[in-house]
Amino acid sequence: MRRLTVQPRDNWQATVARTGLTGHTLDDGRPYWDESAYWEFTAAEVDRLEAATAEIQRLALIAGDYILDHNRLEDMKIPAEAAARIRETWNSEPPALYGRLDLAFDGRQIKLLEYNADTPTALVEAAVTQWYWLEDFFPDADQFNSLHEKLVVKWKDLVPYLNQPVYFGHDGSEEDFMTVSYLRDTAEQAGHRTIPISMYDIGWEEAAARFVDLDRKPIESLFKLYPWEWLLGERFGAHALESIGSVNWMEPIWKMMWSNKALLAILWELNPNHELLLPAYLDGPRSLQDYVRKPLFGREGKGVTVFRNWAAEEGCDSAVEEPCVYQKLASLATEGGNTAVIGSWLIDGEPAGMGVRESSSLITTNTSRFVPHLFR
Amino acid sequence: MRKSREVPVTILAAIALSSIGCHDTPENRNCVDEQGRIVPDTYCQSSVYGAHYRYLYGGASGGHYGDSVVGGSTTSNSESGVSRGGFGHDGGGEDGGE
Repeated sequence: MRRLTVQPRDNWQATVARTGLTGHTLDDGRPYWDESAYWEFTAAEVDRLEAATAEIQRLALIAGDYILDHNRLEDMKIPAEAAARIRETWNSEPPALYGRLDLAFDGRQIKLLEYNADTPTALVEAAVTQWYWLEDFFPDADQFNSLHEKLVVKWKDLVPYLNQPVYFGHDGSEEDFMTVSYLRDTAEQAGHRTIPISMYDIGWEEAAARFVDLDRKPIESLFKLYPWEWLLGERFGAHALESIGSVNWMEPIWKMMWSNKALLAILWELNPNHELLLPAYLDGPRSLQDYVRKPLFGREGKGVTVFRNWAAEEGCDSAVEEPCVYQKLASLATEGGNTAVIGSWLIDGEPAGMGVRESSSLITTNTSRFVPHLFR
Repeated sequence: MRKSREVPVTILAAIALSSIGCHDTPENRNCVDEQGRIVPDTYCQSSVYGAHYRYLYGGASGGHYGDSVVGGSTTSNSESGVSRGGFGHDGGGEDGGE
């Protein structure tokens, strides 16, 4: 893998906005979508990333059984009232769409950093924006990106299982609204009828004990770009739990097991020294000298602290109030002061494509730049 | 080839063309600040802004941002038996995605 620089397209902002990436620039004026560079992979490297993604998915499935069989939800600090529903849905397998593994890859080793299984974003960039970028710049090159096709195929499979319309819940931020708008596109192309709704607008009709939209029509199929741990902590949280079974929630509640960072420690416990995993523990850094401390429920790099020689180097070193996982510091691809993390997507449990995020630090946050890729 | 053959995006492109985050608003509902002045709906819907904003149903106002709403109620008359706002404010300033 190597990082190459290239002249951005004239008026690239309008170009990427036209196909949906309106949030192309950060608040401070720096580009979020950064096409002044791209990462070039070899076909063999992409094969390895794809195989690693499939293997980690296999390990995660085994870990799911183990967590439930050995009552590990408590270690994961998942609310007790959710446990029965997690167990039920793990067994009944209601519709589930997608997930994203964050992988460290330095050209040699591939290591799992975390599994964004419940509410992954940066999907428009990966599925759409970098695809159009490739068409413009290098139409003869290939890209590890069949996200669009695989999403449409998965939605087609779900047609018999989902009552119409399918609602798409978002929290009102622009990025999340654009992500659900893209997912609506893929669902409609598969034959679903879709309606967007802000989570705030979802109503609870007491007499019928059901969720309703703004026209008081019942919501029976709901894709929500909104984490389960937030849903459960809110006023309608108990209703959400009750409704499972009559409402198809996507992603399903069992995804709480995979999006929780305690999964990383459980994976290591079950597969010590697995080549795709980093040592990770729940009770402290143990013998690790260089490690990363991550809150179990953290998102977008929030609360993550990097320790080198046992001392905090990056992030916040305030006293830990929330439960954390301690994971060995990974070796990331670095070039010109940029560190890169691979977001490897799974649609219906199968590897489907990837996107590269770059940071000037070791922690990937919601301001880490998205840089397109290709392979030859 | 491991890239998609085509990537058509009609809804996404249409929304990108129009103003961002613009949704259909139920008639006669305004998002207001603590002084009862109209602010964009996104203030009531996004966790980013905290709990300082709420919806008022009914009431009279000039209809523009900054106008005060006179009268109005925090529950909708046409919606007896339905409560809303039970999701959507616990993000503490974060987006739901990751």
